[in-house]
Amino acid sequence: LTFLESFQINDTGERINRIKAALRLYHDEKDHVFEEKAVEESVKLLQLQVQLEKEYAQSFTGLSLSSTVYKLITINQSARASKVRESLKMPDKRFWWIKLRALVEIRDWDGVATL
Amino acid sequence: TGAHLGHTSLNIDSLRDLARKELVNVLDSVQGKKGLILDPNLSGPLSLIAEFALLKAKHIHTHTRDSRPGLYTYSLFFVPRRTALCEKVLEDEGVFGEITKGEYHLDLIPLEDDLLSLEWDSTFKELYLDQDTTSIYYAAKALMRLQRIYGWFPRILGKGDYSKALCDMMLRMRREMAVDDLDASQTTQMSQTIDSLIIIDRSVDMVTPLCTQLTYEGLIDEIFHIKNSFVEVDASLTTTAPVQAGAGASGSTSSGSGTVLGKKKKVPLNGGDKLFGELRDLNFAVVGGLLNKVAKRINADYEQRHNAKTVPQIREFINKMGGLAAEHQSLRLHTSLAEQIMDYTMTDDFNRILEVQQNVVAGIATNKEPEYIEEMINKQVPLVQVLRLLCLYSLVNNGLKPKQFDFFKKEILEAYGYEHIQTLENLRRLGMLTKQVTTKNTYSLVRRSLSLIVDEVNEHAPNDISYVYSGYAPLSVRLVQCVVQRGKEPGTAAGGGKGSGVAGGSGWKGFEDVLRMLPGRTFDEKQRVEDGQPTYTKKSNGQPRISLVFFLGGCTFTEVSATRFLASQEGGLRDFVICTTQILNGNTLVDSLVQKVPDLHATV
Repeated sequence: LTFLESFQINDTGERINRIKAALRLYHDEKDHVFEEKAVEESVKLLQLQVQLEKEYAQSFTGLSLSSTVYKLITINQSARASKVRESLKMPDKRFWWIKLRALVEIRDWDGVATL
Repeated sequence: TGAHLGHTSLNIDSLRDLARKELVNVLDSVQGKKGLILDPNLSGPLSLIAEFALLKAKHIHTHTRDSRPGLYTYSLFFVPRRTALCEKVLEDEGVFGEITKGEYHLDLIPLEDDLLSLEWDSTFKELYLDQDTTSIYYAAKALMRLQRIYGWFPRILGKGDYSKALCDMMLRMRREMAVDDLDASQTTQMSQTIDSLIIIDRSVDMVTPLCTQLTYEGLIDEIFHIKNSFVEVDASLTTTAPVQAGAGASGSTSSGSGTVLGKKKKVPLNGGDKLFGELRDLNFAVVGGLLNKVAKRINADYEQRHNAKTVPQIREFINKMGGLAAEHQSLRLHTSLAEQIMDYTMTDDFNRILEVQQNVVAGIATNKEPEYIEEMINKQVPLVQVLRLLCLYSLVNNGLKPKQFDFFKKEILEAYGYEHIQTLENLRRLGMLTKQVTTKNTYSLVRRSLSLIVDEVNEHAPNDISYVYSGYAPLSVRLVQCVVQRGKEPGTAAGGGKGSGVAGGSGWKGFEDVLRMLPGRTFDEKQRVEDGQPTYTKKSNGQPRISLVFFLGGCTFTEVSATRFLASQEGGLRDFVICTTQILNGNTLVDSLVQKVPDLHATV
């Protein structure tokens, strides 16, 4: 629940703190190994997004991992997208799907051809 | 509104009149000119009860909230009941003493002659996720009201824990009534028309609503979403003339939101439209052909004008013109609706989803299905669609294998956002998306013993309810069939033998094994009147007996169609009246469980 509350908070720094609180709660319970890991990843993603927002002056927070990667490719930052994908261990299959869709969206046919 | 009601032995019309009269009373209780502010959730259902003209006649004009305070006295009417919580809120706001409060008992709203609904959209989530049983209370109240009108139901059968709770509550309310209002309780007779009430709990059958509905009305609901028996379509479909001037226009204006919403238009869909009445329950596969036939007929009717030579002949034709124009209008609407549906059903995505779905419910196990779901996630199709198929897969297979389970959860979170941890938790709690614990598969046993999968389906001349999903018979309606058609040999339906009445029939007998496999309790209660009069007096005047089927937690249009089909099999000996808490489909069901997060960027 603390985790869900975090979505109401506008300030990202504050939000990360709140998520970390949720993380501790999940950690205390043994049955929630999966959730714990997922929440951990969500923090990572959020931190990354904050960084991206600084770099590209575009909003990234609130997007899912897939959408983040997608958006990066559509703004011609494929290299950066690959990096994000690696740091959060996105499966190959999905990555290529995203890349394909994103390239089609920006009509980058050369990019599609070199896939 | 409601011209289409009141054509069966159970006079549903009277139910609506009662609701309407009460509304008038409620409104009359406030003196003078009135402004009416409606909760947007209410305007739809209300328009099914009373048309705008009626409200206007009562000196009501809709007004906005900015009207000067002080000039008005405020009255507040709670629908369907006032609760302690609401009063507390009013007290906290410090306005408790300043407003007049009242209640308007709006409960079961007749959508059709054979379809009543509480139109309470959130019941499914409330009941099964939040375990909030308020809706059972309202359902029980509504059923008690039906019993006051039509008499005690001789027999109440059902399946599922909440069904049982509903039944118990009704029985208790009857006992309380005997104490509080002896008169009313004694004057209420055993019902002569309704011989049974069958309550089916949504939790018993979660598979059916997740399947894509393949009837005409079902598909309209899947694609356009029917709300309070109105559907919003592109205005261009109906521009040439107002559709069904009488029934339609008045209903939608009174809803306050206006008839034309941007470029959308609200169109009523009910039995008042004869063509729709013919089409709604059919498998979509045959709709095109039928539309074509009707078009030809109407055309031929128009052509008759050339044959009209004599004055009386011409007059006759002109008399027919009105009806013809209306028919033409409705034909135009349904042809364009059907065209749009066709566009949708022709897409690859639709067909692949359907294929996967059919394989899943038929238990044809390959590893293609999970692969396709994975592909859907990769393509970032709307989450609701993904979950719908994934839940179906999980339900049918008694859960996902642990590795698969974690894989899909991770995929979904990464593709759609981490807030869906809660969505997944909701689905897990409901048992819709779970980790496999045993390999014992109840669904496949149930499927076999109730023959839910029928290979040979004739969509043109259906002989089994499975036509509605092109091969899958909805479990919920199969259960109803168990009760009703038991003890009667096929083909001798007209014989009226010992077992042909549900009241004296064998109930669930013969199906105990299957029922044990399904979740929740099974029950079979008989109601009596005090003076020891026999529970059910056999009637011989040839009027059909009526079974009330109550879907607690909502039902789909397809289930309605399937139940209507059951009635048609009974050769006029039995009718069904369907009651439900709300009409749902897989999308609305899953959507109610999806965790929503506020869009922070919208406020920035």
